[in-house]
Amino acid sequence: MKNKSFQDLEKELLKNNEDLTNKFLELETLLDLTNTINSQEDLKSLFFNILTISSSILNSSKGTILIRDQVSKIFNPISAFNMEDEKIKKQIFNTKKGFLNDLNQEKKVSIIEVDQHPNMSVFESEYAIAGPLMNKNKLVGVILLFNKESRSGYVNFDENDKKLLDGIAKQSSIAYQNILLLESLIKANQLNENIMSSITTGVIEVNLFGEIEFANKESLRILEMDTSDILGNHYHYIFEKNKNLIKIIERVELEKKSVFELDFELQSKKKKVMTNLSCSPVFNDKNDFSGIVVAIDDQSKINKIKSTFKKYVSKNIVDKLLDNEDSLNLGGKESDVTILFSDIRGFTSMSEKLEPTEIVEVLNRYFKEMIKVVFEFNGTLDKIVGDELMVLYGAPLENDNDCDDAVNTAIKMFESLEKFNAEVVKDGFKPIEIGIGINKGKVVSGNIGSDQQMNYTVIGDSVNLGSRLCSNAKPGELLISNFVKENLKKNYNFKKIPSIMVKGKAKPIEVWSYKHSN
Amino acid sequence: MSSLKNVEEKHDVIVVRTTGYFNNEAGDAVLGVCNEKMENGKSKFLIDMEDSTVVNSIGVSVLIEIIEQLQEIDGAMAFINLAPIVEKTFNIMGITKYCTVYASEDEAIEKLS
Repeated sequence: MKNKSFQDLEKELLKNNEDLTNKFLELETLLDLTNTINSQEDLKSLFFNILTISSSILNSSKGTILIRDQVSKIFNPISAFNMEDEKIKKQIFNTKKGFLNDLNQEKKVSIIEVDQHPNMSVFESEYAIAGPLMNKNKLVGVILLFNKESRSGYVNFDENDKKLLDGIAKQSSIAYQNILLLESLIKANQLNENIMSSITTGVIEVNLFGEIEFANKESLRILEMDTSDILGNHYHYIFEKNKNLIKIIERVELEKKSVFELDFELQSKKKKVMTNLSCSPVFNDKNDFSGIVVAIDDQSKINKIKSTFKKYVSKNIVDKLLDNEDSLNLGGKESDVTILFSDIRGFTSMSEKLEPTEIVEVLNRYFKEMIKVVFEFNGTLDKIVGDELMVLYGAPLENDNDCDDAVNTAIKMFESLEKFNAEVVKDGFKPIEIGIGINKGKVVSGNIGSDQQMNYTVIGDSVNLGSRLCSNAKPGELLISNFVKENLKKNYNFKKIPSIMVKGKAKPIEVWSYKHSN
Repeated sequence: MSSLKNVEEKHDVIVVRTTGYFNNEAGDAVLGVCNEKMENGKSKFLIDMEDSTVVNSIGVSVLIEIIEQLQEIDGAMAFINLAPIVEKTFNIMGITKYCTVYASEDEAIEKLS
């Protein structure tokens, strides 16, 4: 074997030194890549960093990363380096054909024969290398680098580049999966927070150490506390005024079984709150006890709603509304309702003869009896104006029997009035006489008014006709329109009377009369 | 894509500001400027790489070519505003053995001129 000359040895040493430097640079860049991609929290910066580092290490002139859209399965550019991505965005890439089809089958880094893939022309490059981004053995993206640079122009990528890109693609796949996981975790947390803050049950989570780890908005409202007051503190401290609750939590800690308490009196910062309470153990995925969840339903709120509503509607309607809030229509909506009007005949002359306090006394006694009847037949008290009563049937809850309910109310009102009159006459007052009108038709129902004052009521022509019928009714008479008559399910003793003309209606309205006999 | 942001002369020092990927193309652009200025008798160059945060080894090898030429005429090249990852690449490729990285433009101009 011929001995190498000194010059040859020197050249060889220099070449080895250059190779070593390049390897060192590659290693350092790979380390940088690891550090960079593991510290990224969003996809855009992750992919841009992957692209710049891989372009730098492989000496490519430009690059892009395509990511598969989960719905369309099309691979879209998410990042581009040293190239315009406008053209690429218009090109459809999927695994059905082209270089992505090959990559999807081989699932490893490949040097692409650009001439053999027409859809590669959009990249305007001579040479390309593709590194697959995988998730559970599925191709979810690709790192594409183009035109390896040299001092003599562009050259093709080689086996060493494949090895390097393989390392980069594998690390990038893991980082991509991690970010997707993190994003889904954040979304799930946000959803959880949104649910927790919107529900009307107070929820408090106590961890293994007895510290309060979570409290939703409603629980803070019930306890009259802030997040800063409650989070991280031991439940013994937070519930020090609620010894019974502490005992319940301790019982759950010990027995690992749920406890339910109805009508539990909870002491908040300033007041006592009537609640329904449940206290349940929480177990982790390994079935180990990991804490307690306390759920508090503020009954005072429900009771307040009930007592407020009961002034206007019957108890059974309140219960139905609370059971099924979807049936409640408080927004503006056109609906078919029955409207009853009643007023006292000769009220003006009667009031002239009485003292104001006496008027109020008689009216209050009268309305008390009448409203009792209204609620008996599922009516909703719309308003009381002077001596006039306006009642709705079929609103806010739809009711198939609304016409019969309204007519039955009117008949019972006449009957109750007889008893009422017998009482007031004994007290020295004159008997009261009333006339009633009922109509049925389309109205706009909802909360009507301003920010300062808003009432649930109905408006429309049908309301006006109901009022008009009431005005035309003689003492002890109930007048109903033909719309009501047609919808009655039972027979009543109605007689047809001459039609009446109503403002805004071209044709006269057919009217039916019922006369109450003593 | 232009790789040069601007070229200016300060106290006999040619300040070349680059932009974007410092690759073969950017290296050639800097080489072109340096050659032209060297023909006009200039020998001190300051490369501001504030807007070039990514380099590749081909770009760096062009810089080495320029430094070799400058050494023949007793000139000098210096750098400012290097991103950490760029400075690291320069160190590995040995470029910082032959030229200085300054903390500020003023300091670089003062030392070079």
